[in-house]
Amino acid sequence: MDAVEKANEARQKNWIKDRKVGEGAYAVVYQGREATTGRKVAVKKIRVGQFKDGLDMSAIREVKYLRELKHQNVIELLDVFSSKTNLNLVLEFLDSDLEMIIKDRSLVFLPADIKSWMAMTFRGLEFCHRNWILHRDLKPNNLLIASDGQLKIADFGLARDFADPGYKMTCQVITRWYRPPELLYGGRYYGTAVDIWSVGCIFAELMLRIPYLPGESDMDQIKTIFRALGTPTEEDWPGHTKLPDYVPVGQFPRTPLRDLFTAASADTLNLLNKCLIYEPRKRISALDALHHPYFFALPYPTHPSKLPKCSTVLNRPLDEVDANVEMNATGPGVKATSKGLKRKLASPTELKARSIARRLDFSKAPPSSP
Amino acid sequence: MDSDSATPAETVRKEPLFEASTQFRNWRFSPEGLARIRERLNDVAVAAIRNTFEVDQPGSSSNVAFLDANEEVLLVKLYLTMISQLCAMFRFPEEVEATAVSYLKRFYLKNTVMDWHPKNVMLTALFLATKTTNNPISLEAYTSHIPKTASSDVLDLEFLVAQSLNFEFVVWHAHRALWGIWLDLQSLPDAPANLSPSIYDTALNHVRASRLTDAELIYSPSQIALAAFSMATPELALQWAQSKFSGNESNGLTLDTIFPVLELVKTMILRDGHAPKVDAVREVDRRLKLCKNPEKVAGSKAFVAKQVEEERKAEEKRNKKVSEAQKEQSDPFGETIQSTSLVDYGDDDD
Ligand SMILES: Nc1ncnc2c1ncn2[C@@H]1O[C@H](COP(=O)(O)OP(=O)(O)OP(=O)(O)O)[C@@H](O)[C@H]1O
Ligand SMILES: [Mg+2]
Repeated sequence: MDAVEKANEARQKNWIKDRKVGEGAYAVVYQGREATTGRKVAVKKIRVGQFKDGLDMSAIREVKYLRELKHQNVIELLDVFSSKTNLNLVLEFLDSDLEMIIKDRSLVFLPADIKSWMAMTFRGLEFCHRNWILHRDLKPNNLLIASDGQLKIADFGLARDFADPGYKMTCQVITRWYRPPELLYGGRYYGTAVDIWSVGCIFAELMLRIPYLPGESDMDQIKTIFRALGTPTEEDWPGHTKLPDYVPVGQFPRTPLRDLFTAASADTLNLLNKCLIYEPRKRISALDALHHPYFFALPYPTHPSKLPKCSTVLNRPLDEVDANVEMNATGPGVKATSKGLKRKLASPTELKARSIARRLDFSKAPPSSP
Repeated sequence: MDSDSATPAETVRKEPLFEASTQFRNWRFSPEGLARIRERLNDVAVAAIRNTFEVDQPGSSSNVAFLDANEEVLLVKLYLTMISQLCAMFRFPEEVEATAVSYLKRFYLKNTVMDWHPKNVMLTALFLATKTTNNPISLEAYTSHIPKTASSDVLDLEFLVAQSLNFEFVVWHAHRALWGIWLDLQSLPDAPANLSPSIYDTALNHVRASRLTDAELIYSPSQIALAAFSMATPELALQWAQSKFSGNESNGLTLDTIFPVLELVKTMILRDGHAPKVDAVREVDRRLKLCKNPEKVAGSKAFVAKQVEEERKAEEKRNKKVSEAQKEQSDPFGETIQSTSLVDYGDDDD
């Protein structure tokens, strides 16, 4: 009797939780393994009992999309099971994320490395978009890195499908620094271009090694963008002054990208520029980006296995953990989820790596305008 | 081909999306396969419930008239029509209704109505569908509009429903495919001038009728949509199919292979696509009261026995966990600081 519950129990037994490795806003993440094969996995345990409306929307979105998406550059959901009041997602185990790598000052990035990460990001994103899925929370911290160097898009808690064009959607998505101007201006009809803007910001961050457009509030975000890229004219971006939350924030001249990205090639800047076009319809698509000359020019992308990885040299005292959490608390927020960006550290190895990263946090970020 | 060294664009392959979906992989059956699944499910359920009756009181199962697989399907069908009524009342989008209908059908490919009555499962399936289609409504607002329904009636079954769906929440719908055909037609070079919206409405009604059948468990959404469209207007359906499939053998679809399938879908819609007769269902429901699983009837002897057994198992597990935790703490080689902060003693609820 109750074959369904028995099957669930069998699945549960197949995944062994070994130790806690992290904690998100609504989940605890464990390192674990598959009982039969020993394969290392991450088990994300979502407490459901606490929600008065049952399974919450982030969990539902994450399961819904990851169940369908199978791609080398999208995190793999291996299994799902429930345990009393918890929902458990079994994910492939991923050692680090792009944020940690960017902040690890002991690492040097070659242009070919950046090209490789960008290629993998665009491949994963093109696959999402081809499946009519918007991610809506792309940022370095959600691009996880496997031990073989493969980059995987993760965290689909804010994703949605966009099969219905002209369907009104919330503009309270995407972490502020990576949020495109059409969302900051309250646009409710948008598309794949929102994710492309985020990728543009990540691209710039890979070159600068600090967030490119770190606004301090939603209002300041618009200003930060315009200070860097110039205030758009009606010709640059037709109709933007009609968006619901439009406010004029002053006239800033456009500074050539070249002034800030001094070492970048012309192809690099051309692609970056196309990701950061104000008019969403003119912004490059993930598919076109993959065909951009940048990816065909020398140097060729670094093989994933040869990409820089987080170093694990220093041994830091545990109190660094709190300092990190503290600093992250002032990071960019997403109103829609009101999630903190708390990230608890786990193994000594990870601890070391992440501590180095966090120490060089945003307090030292130079202004984004020249 | 080594995808890592290939140029990024080379890795973009255009495989048909539907064929990669969980629906295509896990929720499509042959008519015979479907019948077999239901027969087996019914057999196993009857045997188990009979056994429970006998344990309770020997001889008590001999004159119980258990439901057969067809009667189970009939009862579920009645509740499919109730989903429509509820959706109309709440003014939910069509997506919600179609999704909830699929969930209910899929649920009963894994469960029997003798364990879980569709009147309860239906409410949970619909509530879950509002969330998975991104049309969430608060549970309070939901239950307050449905008579004699408490929040727990909906939530208690949520995990069971989600598990039965194998946590595969995405459903591809025929009504969307129909909309695609309709838009396509308008952009044909020789687009017919007389595309009256009533054609679309008629076809949509056939798609809606198909929801009361097994069509979606056997055929693809586009096959159902085209069949429904062809029922509304055979000429236009042919025109669309010709524009789509002729000179395009690469996808293995030709008019010759498609039209026989459409006939099967049409037959099914005409034969099964209507609400069941109330009298027949009432009779099934009356018998269900006598043959439902006593382990699922709160207060019965079998129900209490099962609860006691579950409590015992949970207790055993808790004890095991505590003793393991103690062992770990006293491990002289353990990382003392970390073990206290990182092992979660606190939530032994898994
Ligand atoms: N697949 C994984 N492999 C290894 N560790 C992971 C994996 N997924 C998550 N983690 C770890 O668990 C932590 C929490 O992850 P989770 O996705 O729940 O939250 P988050 O993204 O950090 O925060 P939030 O829930 O607020 O968005 C991560 O920061 C990471 O350290
Ligand atoms: Mg995250």
